[in-house]
Amino acid sequence: GGETSSEDAASADGEKITLRAATGLSPQHAWWEGGMEPWMDRVTELTDGQVEFETFTSGELVAVPDEAEAVENGTVDVALILPIYQPDQFPMAEVTMLPLSHSDTMIASNAWKALLESDVELQDGKTFSELQFDQFKVFPISTTQEYSISTTGKEFASAGDVKGTSLRTPSRIHEMYSKQTGLNSITMPAVEMYDAMSRGAFDGSFYSIADWTGYGFQDLFKYTVTGINFGHFNAFIGMDEAKFDSLPENVQEAMEQATDEYFEDSAQIWMDRSEEVIAMNEEQGGQFVDFATLPQDVQDHFNEGIENTWGDYAKLLEDNGLPGTELVKLWRDLMIEQGGEVPQKVKEM
Amino acid sequence: MNGMTTFYKLYGYFGVLKKIGLVISAVVALIMMFFITYDVVMRNVFSSSIRGGFEIIQNYMMPLVVFPGLAYVYASGVLPKMELLFAKFSPAVKRILILFLIAIEVFILVLVVQFSWTYAMDGMERNTSFPAAGTLYQLWPVFFTIPAAFALIVIENIFLFIKNLIEKDPTFVVEYNPSEEEQIINQAVK
Amino acid sequence: MDSYLVVGIIIFMMIMFLLMGMYIHSVLLASGIIGLILLEGFSILPGLLGNEPFNRVASYTLTTIPLFVLMAQFILHSGLVQDIFYIVHKISRGRRSLLGTLTLIIGGMLGAVSGSGTATAASLGQVAVPELRKHGYSGPLAGAIASAGGSLSGIIPPSIILILYGVATETPVGALFIGAFIPGVLVMVTFIIAMLFYYRRETKRSPAAAEAQAEIAAAAEAEAAEEKVPVTRLAVSVIMGFLIVATIFGGIYSGIFTPTEAGAIGSVVGLLTALLLGKVNLNFFKASLTETIKLTGMVMLIMIGAQIFGRFVSLSLLPRKLISLLEPVMDSPALVLLLISAILFVMFMFIEGAAVILMTIPVFLPIITALQVDVLWFGVFISVICTIGLITPPVGLSVYAVSGVTGISSGSIFKVGMGFAVFSMIVVCGLMIAFPELATWLPSVSGGKG
Ligand code: NA
Ligand code: NA
Repeated sequence: GGETSSEDAASADGEKITLRAATGLSPQHAWWEGGMEPWMDRVTELTDGQVEFETFTSGELVAVPDEAEAVENGTVDVALILPIYQPDQFPMAEVTMLPLSHSDTMIASNAWKALLESDVELQDGKTFSELQFDQFKVFPISTTQEYSISTTGKEFASAGDVKGTSLRTPSRIHEMYSKQTGLNSITMPAVEMYDAMSRGAFDGSFYSIADWTGYGFQDLFKYTVTGINFGHFNAFIGMDEAKFDSLPENVQEAMEQATDEYFEDSAQIWMDRSEEVIAMNEEQGGQFVDFATLPQDVQDHFNEGIENTWGDYAKLLEDNGLPGTELVKLWRDLMIEQGGEVPQKVKEM
Repeated sequence: MNGMTTFYKLYGYFGVLKKIGLVISAVVALIMMFFITYDVVMRNVFSSSIRGGFEIIQNYMMPLVVFPGLAYVYASGVLPKMELLFAKFSPAVKRILILFLIAIEVFILVLVVQFSWTYAMDGMERNTSFPAAGTLYQLWPVFFTIPAAFALIVIENIFLFIKNLIEKDPTFVVEYNPSEEEQIINQAVK
Repeated sequence: MDSYLVVGIIIFMMIMFLLMGMYIHSVLLASGIIGLILLEGFSILPGLLGNEPFNRVASYTLTTIPLFVLMAQFILHSGLVQDIFYIVHKISRGRRSLLGTLTLIIGGMLGAVSGSGTATAASLGQVAVPELRKHGYSGPLAGAIASAGGSLSGIIPPSIILILYGVATETPVGALFIGAFIPGVLVMVTFIIAMLFYYRRETKRSPAAAEAQAEIAAAAEAEAAEEKVPVTRLAVSVIMGFLIVATIFGGIYSGIFTPTEAGAIGSVVGLLTALLLGKVNLNFFKASLTETIKLTGMVMLIMIGAQIFGRFVSLSLLPRKLISLLEPVMDSPALVLLLISAILFVMFMFIEGAAVILMTIPVFLPIITALQVDVLWFGVFISVICTIGLITPPVGLSVYAVSGVTGISSGSIFKVGMGFAVFSMIVVCGLMIAFPELATWLPSVSGGKG
């Protein structure tokens, strides 16, 4: 990593430090507004103004998903990193997208934090973070709310309805799940989705309800299945490891402390937003259907897909020389520890 | 005179290289047209789209439409600039300006070549790939078209620099082959 | 280095480079790179210069640039425009002011299948100007009508300017297309009014000359009646013309394909048209594809330059400084907008439209957002100014294209064109500021706004 900020980071205690912070997401995104921004404010507060952040949002400096690269090559000092978008660089980060029977933002966020901080050695004596994010100093923040299936009107009255339904898929795990359940997967830039869906180009998407408003989906989706869970997208605040080590000790401590203080709030914002969005959507005639009320054959079809997807993902990682089985088991145990639920077959893995 | 013959001979060989690039870009543009149309038809008629089509178009086809033909585009004289003031200078001033502009151009382009090359090598090392329909496709080979395209433009500028040093009339293009539309517009500007 | 000083140096350098005649993309690249070096040192370059060219180009939405250009090329090389104009000539026989009106309307309709103003203007110049002159229009007025008609491609969707704006600001391109419809028609209407005004003035000033012209015209018409285009061919042209427009708009609106995909579909339909009209051969492909790659390369090179320049602008915090500088007048958005449109109008006078959009967005967008002005509205607004800029001196590509094909001096066309431009600018921009709904209403009712 190069030296980038106008002030030299390795300065003596008390000297002002300006850090360049960036995200490709909009400044209203829950991860920025509810996660990284309060974190930065708290760091500034805890250091009595010694550390200040110069912020760039909406891809003004770095676009999604180039944040990790920008931190590594020193274009920015600290960024909101979304590793799931780069399965070639962070193939194990997708684990939080594995489908579940039950969880919520709080459960998944705690499990994600536990995974990032886990000292379980997965391969060659290395932990999850050492295997994936060795170059970063990682400050955990919440995951998204769980992903649901929402459509612009298509309903699932039988397993046959599920097959051939075209949904936008946001990750490789959703692709696997679609393959397992006969869903037709569409990939498309998020900015084009509203246009395409409102004109019927495809049926719907996997998406987290709290995140709908960013693209106006609260006016568009008419049918959402809740009570089944298609994983949680994850993120963390990342800094170049060497850069972090060069910071004065009091600053390092302030950053750690700010993370601990704000972690739960950063998860809560997703829960609150979700409630608001559900109310808005219901007002527009949107319908939320509990998975348990769907016909048995639909439930079985979806559940079978969940079980097989866990195995598929583990195998994919194993095929690439990564500890897939160890990883999914660790994730399962952390989820259950935090109050999440998985189908029986996954429990027996 | 003999020097100039060699110069144009060499430039002719270089021209073949640029033409090949142009043909690659043109063919990929046609493929892209049919690929997207096929995808739309499949989606509407059989409700199944090409798996990973969007990523393949974005990551493979777009760079291949743009970069291979870029040196040809550059040499064709189509790129816009403000010519109003320039046209009013005397030939001597024009020549100095052109040599100066080419020098800056080369400085900038060499930086682009250098850093896009580093980026491509880095991509090869990391095996940079993109996910589409559940599989990973190698992306880094496409990265190399960028330093290649800009290196060709550097060579074009070297030819242009030599030509302006040797010949009397200051010029922005080594050999002018304007399209119909450009010819028309250029005529009008004069 | 102090960032105010760096910004000052870079702005000065940009103006110098532009005046010296440096390529626009090089001006952007050079200013961006040198600015970054002055601001941050060489260490910042690898992270930005290495990956930006690829990241900028590898975009699905940008497939619209090569594909809409390809569609326009296929259509222009198919002879469709000539045939349609032949029909217009038949319809307006004897009603002389009608011919000018119809030419502008044809320009608008051509705009609906073409993304590029210069190409449309060149073909209108070729087919329409001789007809207009036969009907008693002076050379400069006929040239201005063709230039103005051609420039309409810039605002009537699909438009490359709108696509570039949509990509740079992440505004849905479909919504921009729909939003530009009413303002696009307004620009066309103001052009027609300006045309009628100039035409009246011409016939009043020299009735005798007009009469003589009309006589020549009558003779020419008799002559034209002789050279007949086969009716079947005309039928094919008309049907295909309607089919292209119907396919694109019908397809987008009914959800068969997205506005991005419309470029590919439109190209295929354009190719079919040329096939039906018997114009497809190796040269047809050579000419269409070479022009497409040239235009695409040009736009992309400028986009790459603008991207690097944009990174410099971001890091220099220039937009934030400008906003704080503008703080005293930020309460009256209309004033700031007026200022911005004046700056843009001047820039569009001198510099190619797409380049201006790409250069100014990094600076203006944050101001627009801070003013809480609708981003979609602003995109349509600057596209209107850009369209009008195609017919203003000294750099008016539409006028150059028409002047080139007709031999009418560009200076004399500009004199009339400037009248069109100023009238249209005041009326349409004034209306858009007074009634923003002109751009925002259609997207809001059609559900195209994300
Ligand atoms: Na158009
Ligand atoms: Na102009």
